Amino acid sequence: MSSHDAHLTREEVVDRVLDVLKSHPKVDPSKVTPEAHFEKDLGLDSLDTVEVVMAIEEEFKLEIPDKEADKIDSLPLAIEYVANHPMAG
Amino acid sequence: MASRPKLSGIQKQVLALYRGFLRTARLKDPEERHRIESVVSAEFRDNARNVDRRNFVYIEYLLRRGKRQLEQLKNPDITGLATLEVKK
Repeated sequence: MSSHDAHLTREEVVDRVLDVLKSHPKVDPSKVTPEAHFEKDLGLDSLDTVEVVMAIEEEFKLEIPDKEADKIDSLPLAIEYVANHPMAG
Repeated sequence: MASRPKLSGIQKQVLALYRGFLRTARLKDPEERHRIESVVSAEFRDNARNVDRRNFVYIEYLLRRGKRQLEQLKNPDITGLATLEVKK
């Protein structure tokens, strides 16, 4: 209806997902890239991954169902999920 | 390149329980939320380190206990974990 509800740009999604990762206490911010894998590149375990995915939910005001959340193990997958989500804000 | 091996069923249950606690913590006031998050995270990490991953009977017991605690925490009258902390 109004013009301000335009969907997030991909660039914006990438920047904000990167910021969420960089602010996780276990993550070395210098290792965070849009291609990084949570476990292999950032050294996160499965509990950290749950925390990161939940922080992304909060950042974009989404609720990611368990089935989807279990699959998100890298920045590319996280960015893809948010960018394709119609409710991401 | 294969990524991380697929999660087992029991691992998924543990992660879903952890997610459930973190979601419920969000509903509490910020100070309480923070406290719940540290207690829950410490408990899960402690068990991840110390429980033999083949000990399914014990892990299933912990899952059941965790689910019961989560149900209690979901009650809006319950503000914290004080009554839920487990003595070692």
